[in-house]
Amino acid sequence: MKLLTCPLNGQRNISEFTYGGEYHPMPDPNTTDSRAWAEHVFFHDNAAGVVTEWWCHTASSFWFLAERNTITDKVIRTFDTSEIFNERVDFKVPDAAEKQS
Amino acid sequence: MTDYNPLLPIAPAQGNRRSPLYRRHVDLQAKFEQVGDAVLVSHYVKPGIEVLLAANLGLVDLSTMPRTGFKGAGAPAWAASQRVKLPKLPNTAVTQKDGSVVAKLSHQELLIVSNIMGSATSIDRLNREHLNREHSNKEHLNREHLNREHSNKEHLSKQTLAPQTYSLPRADSHSWLAVTGNAAAEMFSKICGVDLRVHKFAHNQVAQTSVAKINGVILRHDLATTPCFYILSDITSTEFLWDSLLDAMEEYRGAAVGVAAMRSLAANK
Repeated sequence: MKLLTCPLNGQRNISEFTYGGEYHPMPDPNTTDSRAWAEHVFFHDNAAGVVTEWWCHTASSFWFLAERNTITDKVIRTFDTSEIFNERVDFKVPDAAEKQS
Repeated sequence: MTDYNPLLPIAPAQGNRRSPLYRRHVDLQAKFEQVGDAVLVSHYVKPGIEVLLAANLGLVDLSTMPRTGFKGAGAPAWAASQRVKLPKLPNTAVTQKDGSVVAKLSHQELLIVSNIMGSATSIDRLNREHLNREHSNKEHLNREHLNREHSNKEHLSKQTLAPQTYSLPRADSHSWLAVTGNAAAEMFSKICGVDLRVHKFAHNQVAQTSVAKINGVILRHDLATTPCFYILSDITSTEFLWDSLLDAMEEYRGAAVGVAAMRSLAANK
């Protein structure tokens, strides 16, 4: 059985985890174009080498990030999302005039 | 405390709350008791024999007992303001003055289960206080919304975005079982990947993990000197988990027991 270390719950069998895709920094939704936004939402780089990925410990629904080498399948480290997401992100609500245009 | 009276025979469907396992209990010829608005199994065979069974390996259904939870960046501070003693670390628990247990599942999530007498006083109070807070927050938000429309501000004030506390009423979403006795940890080694031996997994320690392929929260909360593990898991899988646990317990001569045996063990100092 493969093992993975959850930053909250410690080392657990890999069967307790769900893969959540690659992590990419979010482009600024107010200035980015549709193409870049679609790339961010739908596309993966699928890079060979060290990548950062989303993982979820399903027993506790705890999402965290992992750095993994996709060539050797070695997990370099797992860490709490607060390392990256350390402030609230507010989205601008378009006003009625913008919505209609 | 409660108005429970073990001398009164009672049907499993008589209370407001009924366990998803009540058919299993009827098949096992359980004797029921009422605690508050809930019905739970007092004992199946003679209470004296069940104490011995529970000290070795027993399975108890506590699904109708009071429990609740709160989540959100503001949850720990709010609970502390309600005179709740909080665990310092995630995945640990603290026993409160009234015997209820507060477990910290993450930095922002609390699980609260009643004492084994089923006293709902402190849990009801917390739920009520939270509801009051929700009402006053909603009124505050409405006022902010009106202010925003008048002053044409783009964003709500910082005060409105203060850390929130959300209710997680676990009583309807999670079943609550207890595995008691000295053989419990060894039995768990067959169906759970976490080492629950008593020298590795302390009293009031929590593990969120998989038990018999069911995700659940395991909380060790001993009955005086007898090891006891609470399992809180998805209520829709309760019958599967109950049957799986009884199956795994068979080789250790484990059996279903009632809450009366737990109370006797807890009173054995």
